[in-house]
Amino acid sequence: MAVSETSKFKVAATGVIPFAFVIVMMLYIFGPGADLLDFGVALPEVTIEKVDFIDSEIQATVRNTGPIPVQIAIADVNDRIQPAAVEPDGFLDRYETALVRIPFEWNEAEPYRIGITIDDGTRFEKEIESAAFALEFTSDLVIFFAIIGTYVGIIPVMIGLLWLPFIRRISKSKYHFFLALTVGLLLFLGIDAIEEAIEVSNENLAGSFNGILLTATVVVISFIGLYYAGQKLIDRADSSKLTKPVAIALMIAIGIGLHNFGEGLAIGAAVGLGSIAFSTFLIVGFALHNTTEGIAIAGPLSKDKTLSKKSLITKLIGFGLIAGSPAIFGAWIGGFSYSPFSSVIFLAIGAGAIFQVIVVILRLIREEGDKNLSGSSVVAGIAIGMLVMYLTSILV
Amino acid sequence: MILLLSVTIGLSVIVVFPNFSEAQSELKTFVTHSGKIIRTTGEVIDPLYTVSTVEFDPMEYLREFNYGNISKLADGTTVREYTIIAEDDKVMEVSPGVFYNVWTYNGTVPGPTIRATEGDLLKINFINNGSKDHTIHFHGIHPAGMDGVFEAVGPGGGKFVYEFEAGPVGVHPYHCHVMPLEEHIVHGLYGVFIVDPKEGREPADEMVMVLNGLDTDFDTENNFYAANTIPFYYQHHPIQINTNELIRIYVVNMVEFDPINNFHLHGNLYKYYPTGTDLVPSFYTDMITLSQTERGIMEFVYDYPGKYLFHAHKVEFSEKGWVGIFLVNDNSESDESDMEYGS
Repeated sequence: MAVSETSKFKVAATGVIPFAFVIVMMLYIFGPGADLLDFGVALPEVTIEKVDFIDSEIQATVRNTGPIPVQIAIADVNDRIQPAAVEPDGFLDRYETALVRIPFEWNEAEPYRIGITIDDGTRFEKEIESAAFALEFTSDLVIFFAIIGTYVGIIPVMIGLLWLPFIRRISKSKYHFFLALTVGLLLFLGIDAIEEAIEVSNENLAGSFNGILLTATVVVISFIGLYYAGQKLIDRADSSKLTKPVAIALMIAIGIGLHNFGEGLAIGAAVGLGSIAFSTFLIVGFALHNTTEGIAIAGPLSKDKTLSKKSLITKLIGFGLIAGSPAIFGAWIGGFSYSPFSSVIFLAIGAGAIFQVIVVILRLIREEGDKNLSGSSVVAGIAIGMLVMYLTSILV
Repeated sequence: MILLLSVTIGLSVIVVFPNFSEAQSELKTFVTHSGKIIRTTGEVIDPLYTVSTVEFDPMEYLREFNYGNISKLADGTTVREYTIIAEDDKVMEVSPGVFYNVWTYNGTVPGPTIRATEGDLLKINFINNGSKDHTIHFHGIHPAGMDGVFEAVGPGGGKFVYEFEAGPVGVHPYHCHVMPLEEHIVHGLYGVFIVDPKEGREPADEMVMVLNGLDTDFDTENNFYAANTIPFYYQHHPIQINTNELIRIYVVNMVEFDPINNFHLHGNLYKYYPTGTDLVPSFYTDMITLSQTERGIMEFVYDYPGKYLFHAHKVEFSEKGWVGIFLVNDNSESDESDMEYGS
């Protein structure tokens, strides 16, 4: 007993000692009087993360994204100095934000450049392509976004699910083709989401957030997390009432739901930023894309021959809602409380979820017999899936 | 389950996180261009209308002339001796809350206004207390060796005496002429040199306005423009003048980067003497255009009291600081006898 206690202690000690040295090193570098590494000039940086146009006023959300504290000294519109207020105050520590309120009779649909000058005279700027009223939280808009979310999320997924009887009747290789087609479609969507996340972070987030690495990290964590949770769900399927195909379909539905949340966010943000025409395109595009997501859910579900007709229909509706309704919540958040940071996070989570769904479907195909995933139906399916998405992306 | 819960909490934190800064405190107010009153719980940043002072006082500079230490030669020639010290390590508040490394003659931008009468012998004792080479290059007529171009004065106390006869009559700039020239000028090494005609000019309320710009972020574009360095200063500190009184402004354009500058006066026109070299005005106008170091003398009288703007009609410049107000006080019995001209 005593022996094992000692060895446990030893294990703990050997684990802790390197940490202790790390702490000692940190203290040495940052501690008082340690000006060893105090050379070079730290350059201040602020980022204008968001600009809102409200009645006779422009509001800019400014974050200190540099290594040193800054003081906001001057606000300008189109490089012309304006009186302004900064709330709560102009002193910003690292990563602190402030709201700069500039009274200004702006004109709708005109471009504006909003500038912030800090105490050392450096000016930072953000360009808005087209000024539009910031969305206010009204019941009309809440309903409007809910309807858009329904069009983009729930209805297309439900339509896609209607292919279930068809998929049930076709041969195995044709079934594989449809599963592979979904893989191709989803692969495209996943890459698209990553591209979007990187674009949002490049345009709106400061370099210090490491946009690309942030996206990569969240994609991987989302993937791993959902993969783990999904596997638990499938494992448990044996002992619970759920059959394995239903468990897989549920996982796919959850993954697609997370992805649709990101899409809803993008649509809400597009409406919020005033690019209404753009968001009409988005809605059409997303609706087309999302029909295919229904097929992805219907695929595994079609293999469960044990389900009664009634139970199957309830499941279809339930999965359709799981996969589609997050688009509504996404649209609400994107429209009313848009923040580039959360946008990047959600887009990346969605991408991770998509890749998880892809892995699950590929595994399903392997279990169904195509061990190398090299059958002509699989190869053709993935290729055509990507091509279809690329071509529809040009159209919308 | 725990995983799901932590994901939910994580997501809601991300959503809420950007909208943190909503502190409540007492309300402050400020007035906008259109006269609208805005209330805020935060801080007001308004260099335009809010009365504020910085280290340098443009009001003092406006009417301050340095006539030098005067002595006479045996032949009756007036000798004027000046001391000018260059420095380049000063960080000055150029607009409320904005700090910029200015390079100065005698501690200010612009440097002192040197004033003499045509034919006087000038001795300018120049001391360079900066960390780089500096000189003084006067516009005007002088021997080659006094031109301040090829005679770099070393840092850390280097000395040079510029000696020449004052001339020609007019208003001229002086500035450092060390390479890289643009850098030495835009940091603030310049000032005004006035040569009065022997017979003098009509008595007037005289002032000096150096039109300058500040590129505080070094992108070769000016962030601020001003008459006498501090943006918007004469807007919230109007220049007090009187009706029926002759006003004379010595204007020198030292703006770099932008090819032109200009000067528009409200509610009045002025007689304009380009470079001040002629005693007969060339124009009667309310708008002149000035290129780099172009300068002249303006003379005008206000008939009606009130507030009158003067500003660059290149509106970008006025909206970035080059704007001011003359507050004309009613002075029905004009009394020009107690006004001085030159010395």
